[in-house]
Amino acid sequence: MLLILSCLANAAEVDPLALVNGLQRELPARTAYTEVRFSQMYDRAVIARGELEYLGPGKLGKRVDSPYVETTTIADGEVTIQRGSREPRRISLDRIPELEGFLRGFSALLGGDVAALQRDFEVQGSGSAEHWQLRLSPTDKRLKTRIEALQVDGAGSKARCFSIIDADADVSILMVEELATLTLPKPLTQKNVELTCRRGNSGP
Amino acid sequence: MSPRLRRWALLIGWVIVLLAVAVYTGHTLKLSTDLRSFMPPAQTPDQKLLMEQIGEGPGSRLLLLALSGDGEEQLAELSRRFSAALRQDAHFSQVVNGEFDAGLLDEALLPYRYLLTPSFDATPLDAATLADELGQRVEDLGSPAATLLKPILPRDPTLEIMKLAEQWSPPKQPLLRDGVWFSPEGEALLLVQTHAAGFDPAAQGEAIAAIESTFAANKAGSANARLVISGPGYFSVLVNASTRGESEWLGRISTVGFIILLLLAYRSVAVLGLAALPIASGALAGVAAIAVVFTEMHGITLAFGFTLLGVAQEYPIRLLSHRRAGETALESVRSLWPLLLTAIASACIAYLAFFASGVTGLMQLAVFTISGLLVAGFSTRYLLPRVLPPGFRDAADTPGLGRIWNWLEGLPRPRWLPPALLVIAALMLWSATTPFWQNDLASLTPVPKDLMQREGRLRAALGAPDVRYLLIVEAADAEGVLELSEKISPRIDALVEQGAVNAAELPSRYLPSLATQRTRQAALPDSPALAAMLADASQGLPFRAGLFQPFLDDVEKARTLEALSPAEFARSPIGARIEAMLVQRDGHWLGLGTIIGMQDPAAFDALARETDGAVRLLDLKGASESLVASYRERILHAFAIAIVLLVITVFIAFRDIHRAWHVLAPMTLATILVLAVLRAGGTSLSLFHLVALTLAAGLGLHYALFFERTTPDAAEARRTLHATLVCVISALLVFALLAWSSLPVLRAIGLTVSLGVGFHFCLSILMARKGRSRDAG
Repeated sequence: MLLILSCLANAAEVDPLALVNGLQRELPARTAYTEVRFSQMYDRAVIARGELEYLGPGKLGKRVDSPYVETTTIADGEVTIQRGSREPRRISLDRIPELEGFLRGFSALLGGDVAALQRDFEVQGSGSAEHWQLRLSPTDKRLKTRIEALQVDGAGSKARCFSIIDADADVSILMVEELATLTLPKPLTQKNVELTCRRGNSGP
Repeated sequence: MSPRLRRWALLIGWVIVLLAVAVYTGHTLKLSTDLRSFMPPAQTPDQKLLMEQIGEGPGSRLLLLALSGDGEEQLAELSRRFSAALRQDAHFSQVVNGEFDAGLLDEALLPYRYLLTPSFDATPLDAATLADELGQRVEDLGSPAATLLKPILPRDPTLEIMKLAEQWSPPKQPLLRDGVWFSPEGEALLLVQTHAAGFDPAAQGEAIAAIESTFAANKAGSANARLVISGPGYFSVLVNASTRGESEWLGRISTVGFIILLLLAYRSVAVLGLAALPIASGALAGVAAIAVVFTEMHGITLAFGFTLLGVAQEYPIRLLSHRRAGETALESVRSLWPLLLTAIASACIAYLAFFASGVTGLMQLAVFTISGLLVAGFSTRYLLPRVLPPGFRDAADTPGLGRIWNWLEGLPRPRWLPPALLVIAALMLWSATTPFWQNDLASLTPVPKDLMQREGRLRAALGAPDVRYLLIVEAADAEGVLELSEKISPRIDALVEQGAVNAAELPSRYLPSLATQRTRQAALPDSPALAAMLADASQGLPFRAGLFQPFLDDVEKARTLEALSPAEFARSPIGARIEAMLVQRDGHWLGLGTIIGMQDPAAFDALARETDGAVRLLDLKGASESLVASYRERILHAFAIAIVLLVITVFIAFRDIHRAWHVLAPMTLATILVLAVLRAGGTSLSLFHLVALTLAAGLGLHYALFFERTTPDAAEARRTLHATLVCVISALLVFALLAWSSLPVLRAIGLTVSLGVGFHFCLSILMARKGRSRDAG
């Protein structure tokens, strides 16, 4: 956390909206990911690997390949979670308004929809074109009780890491594109993963 | 004391007594608005239940609220603010708008979840189950739902709170948008249960006012938002207000007309005021009698009572019209008194029939009218003549009256007319195609069609329970009801599967029987065993040691708890529902299952047969109609007795079969004609028609009695005509106006009395007079 703050303080201001615009890409967009989750509930970091998919506004897919198999699809206001060979579970997004706001933001970010993004989040940017960081803080009060911020690290027009910082400081970091296949830093601490996102490699 | 002084002293004394009685009754009498006290006494167990349920059942206490007029997001936000505020209001036992309510179970009741949940019935809570659940939690924490689950996870790793919340959510969930219920038309929906009974318009009125003011206070930011309220309670308030509003409005017009009529007839303001004294005395005496006998009076008794007391207006009018030169008012009244007394006595005896009905509301009506008529009659006889000013205009000299009299005298009176009318009436009665009786009381105070349609739409959108059907589960005690409810639950599920009903809610859905709870309790592992299972199950999972200590504590607590009783459960927010679903009556306990979307009531017959009726479907509409039908039978019996009593009274008064016949025949024929016209017009008869027929017959009795009277001279005959005309016109003024009302209940009374007054007047002239002239000849 301190590190991020100090980075922000020292960083030259970058135009966050231009960054979001630059992120816009051809549909569908797919990327492999490695997710590292740090939680107060866990005695160690939990790693998951799979594929992220952006299919257009309001349509997201996240497939977990290991350590378990799960496909989450968000489309038409409904979340469908399919685990292994079990019956898929469907939850209407309306039932979890916080989640809906969050996903709207996420989808707006991936789709480069600046207007939608600004409606739900306060957008801050820092760093340089080669090492930039976007921080999206929810403006919705209810969402704020669940999620502190959504953070994106990237270089150029490519995002490297998506970090979801929960209100209770639990963090889930998704490393995408080339970072997804990178060897994870050792020891696997939150600080080291954040450094990896910043630098674009896990080297010391 | 001079006569003038004596007159004033008596008048002032009279008014003071009236004021004193008014003050006394104003202090002691309570006016009740609960419609049920005006309903027939319940006979069968189902009818008894109906009387309870009609006001207090879970269905009838529900109000359906819809918010519209703004964007979805704003409405959702308003719905949340609005329901949060309503939940603080003591008028309501339950407010739901679709929000996930983690506070469904009180903190203190949370450990009970292991007794309430069916999760571990098939597979026990063991290491394998736990390992499977914990594995799923790791996956959940990586899913979008993680932020929701995290706060409860250490305490509830198997998510029993969520499973219970799901089980307790309405069986037919409305649409959810932005986390709250919405209708397909885009209105935010709320369900509110009042503490007040559904058919107590006064109490419902308070609740509705509270809703409206809460809405006004919370709509900031959505200035265009509109609130629509629907539901039985709202309708009872609405119907009450519109009935009262319309009858007051019509009442004012007819009062003005009445004053003008009396001024025209008697040309004296003083007389106008004095003529009101007997009927005012009668009304006050009636109210005072009820205050003494019943202490509480029903609003309808008051309205009906004043209607029926309308007969008493005849008494002073007769006296005023029959005054003549050279005779004091006292002497005039003495010569009229035998006839007046016959009329008063026969009316009072007829109203005794209401007393025999056994319905509190009608008994009150009898006490009110009988004491009112007696006091009005006796004050006309003994007080009014002593306060009337000595000067007056002879009614016989009214211009034009002589001509009317001659014209009436000259009317042909064919002997075949009465039998011909009777035949026509019989044909009309026979040819009427509508049902003779109207058993659906609600149809008399109908809710406007568009509101009814909206109610249906909202009810369907909310999946709110049917108001018409209840599934009764009967047993010796609450535990028995819950056990039976658990037993038949699979059967009900099968009926839902078959499509006989869209959904049903049984009491055991909310609270399992004590037996089931104890079975579950016994199956829970003890603390060391559970800790070992947990350690076993956590192998290979990332959860930190000690994370699930709150879970271990809760299960241990659940092992030693007393099983949750309905009374205990009722204290939690969700428990309010079980409270409404379990009622004790006559040493029995009844579970009231709600039905949503009944498709095939007959499908429940088999269930009733197998359980010997312990589980049965109650059709509230059917029960209420059978109640009304059996009630009417009692009233008709009472009427039959009343008619016999009336005939005997008239015979005794006349001691002459011919004369009695000339009074009773036009009355009877006129009543039959009214019935025939109503029926030919497609009207099905109700209680209100019966009351109106009774009043008309009472008025008709007066007309016939006075026309039949031997008159010493032409002037006296003109006075009789004058009095009768004033009475007829004043009655028509009041009731013909009511007949134009938009409300069926007022129209029923107005039309029936107006028709009655017309027929009674015409037939009295034709038949009672004819008898006289023949006698004279």
